[in-house]
Amino acid sequence: MILSVRDFSIGFQREGESLVAVDGVSFDVEEGETFVIIGESGSGKSLTGMSVAGLQPPTAFVSGSIRFKDREMLRRPDAELRKMRGPEIGLIYQDPLSSLNPVWPVGDQIAETLTAHGLADRAEARKRAIEMLERVRIPDPHRVAAAYPHEISGGMRQRAMIAMALAAGPSLLIADEPTTALDVTIKAQMLELLAELKREMALTIVLITHDMGVVAEVADRILVLYAGRIAEIGPADAIMLQPSHPYTAALMTSAMISQTPAKQDLNAIVGGAPGLGSFPAGCRFHPRCPRAQHDCLSVEPPRRKFGTVELACHYPIEAAMPLEIARG
Amino acid sequence: MSVSSQTARRALKRPKGLLLPLALLVVAILAAFVLLPGLIAPHDPIALAMADRLKPPSLTHIFGTDEGGRDVFSRIVYGTRYSLGVAIVIVFASALFGVVYGAVSGMASRGIDNLMMRIVDLFFGFPALVLALAVAASIGRGLDSVALSLAIIWWPGYARLVRGEVLRLRERPHVEAARALGVSEITILRRHIISFVIQEVNVRVTTDIGYALVAVTALSFLGLGANSPTPEWGLLIRDSRSYFGSAWWYLVFPGTMIMLTATAFSLIGDALAARRAA
Repeated sequence: MILSVRDFSIGFQREGESLVAVDGVSFDVEEGETFVIIGESGSGKSLTGMSVAGLQPPTAFVSGSIRFKDREMLRRPDAELRKMRGPEIGLIYQDPLSSLNPVWPVGDQIAETLTAHGLADRAEARKRAIEMLERVRIPDPHRVAAAYPHEISGGMRQRAMIAMALAAGPSLLIADEPTTALDVTIKAQMLELLAELKREMALTIVLITHDMGVVAEVADRILVLYAGRIAEIGPADAIMLQPSHPYTAALMTSAMISQTPAKQDLNAIVGGAPGLGSFPAGCRFHPRCPRAQHDCLSVEPPRRKFGTVELACHYPIEAAMPLEIARG
Repeated sequence: MSVSSQTARRALKRPKGLLLPLALLVVAILAAFVLLPGLIAPHDPIALAMADRLKPPSLTHIFGTDEGGRDVFSRIVYGTRYSLGVAIVIVFASALFGVVYGAVSGMASRGIDNLMMRIVDLFFGFPALVLALAVAASIGRGLDSVALSLAIIWWPGYARLVRGEVLRLRERPHVEAARALGVSEITILRRHIISFVIQEVNVRVTTDIGYALVAVTALSFLGLGANSPTPEWGLLIRDSRSYFGSAWWYLVFPGTMIMLTATAFSLIGDALAARRAA
């Protein structure tokens, strides 16, 4: 087990009031797997991912525990966290154009990861930057290393970002919506690249996304977050093929837009995700849930085992009736 | 701060037609004055020649002569070092200090940032002339006390500008990405923040040289700056006042130089700002 999150909560103070964005989340990530955290915006998925690297907003208060390779990451001094970012944990972000410094050549920025940690001198770092660009399958690494971010394509930029994140040889890669800014063909290439790099470099990947297509492509295990709480967690196959939580089921059906006949209505989930500070009582999904009963309104569902998955739902979907129920 | 309105304002000020080439030409000539005054000035700027006093412009004295018979053109050429030189020193010293101060303030914790900015407010609130008088009274009149007092009131502008830019830039995704790679705060500041701030500071420095020149010459004009016989431009104008009725050239040429120089730097600053905004 490379990462162990226990009862992790994070929140903010606003006008004297505490707003809890992520509430008591626990999960483990095994070495070598691709662990996907999926949720809508505001579900707390990015906050959870960033906190693993100690990059939660400085104004946030946290509780619980995040252990990476048996070392507590929460409440760790900034200087120590900084030393871990790069050589132990790499991060890639959604928007590669704004995440690259526009006034430095791409190669220099990759090299910076190495020089910042004293892993190589300048000349050596340059050489390794070009190797990294080759490694992320950039066909003309010397040219790209000398180019500025605006001179290369979006796919190239995202590859350069990946090269930056992996240059110092981390064992854990946190990818926060890495494909959101990319078009569909590039997205597929990028996921394939991540899968290949994972094998070659013995990586563990925590992928944060709201895109079910991405999940289907790469996930070993899935964590479904809803309004700061775990809805469902388990092996990707079980969750994708036979979702038990009504929210997951609804996500799956709404993702099947491309398979929906043109005349048929889209299976959107009714309503919108609740905002921070206005989470409903009981099960937080109940206002949008087609299966909600009386007790869902007041009693928070406990997390329990259900087949191969664990979920938090009073009335999970039985294996016999997949998908249909979520269509209401 | 609304970026778009600022952009619009700058776009309006972009110099048109020949203005920018002319401004660059003026600066090139000034640079020659500063670097090689001996080659350009036809006469000694200090030595008196009482036989030639207050002569109108002619082929030997193209800008005429002053009450000591000295060539006004030569005095202007030599004076560039003093007037423009001091202005440049003031602006560069202020910019250097202000950038460091503003960057530290922008990266520091809220309490320290607040304290540092209140100190800046204190300096901002101080009237330049009163400060110049006080400095002149304590260390004596001269260009050094002008430089000191103007630098004291000049740096807070840079500190504020840089702090604001740092606050804006440090939330930018590329800065966060660098942080996510474990780059230290010092390196982030140096490589990922200052490199942007410098562009903004360049614009300000260029424009400010013109303003600082006006301030320096104004203080000399008021008798707080250069002492005779230094050919400082403000002092030339001060000395020329008594002869204005009979010797217009003595006042007009130094005055025109100050105006041309200030305008040229201002135009170049606008051009830089317009290019940044584009």
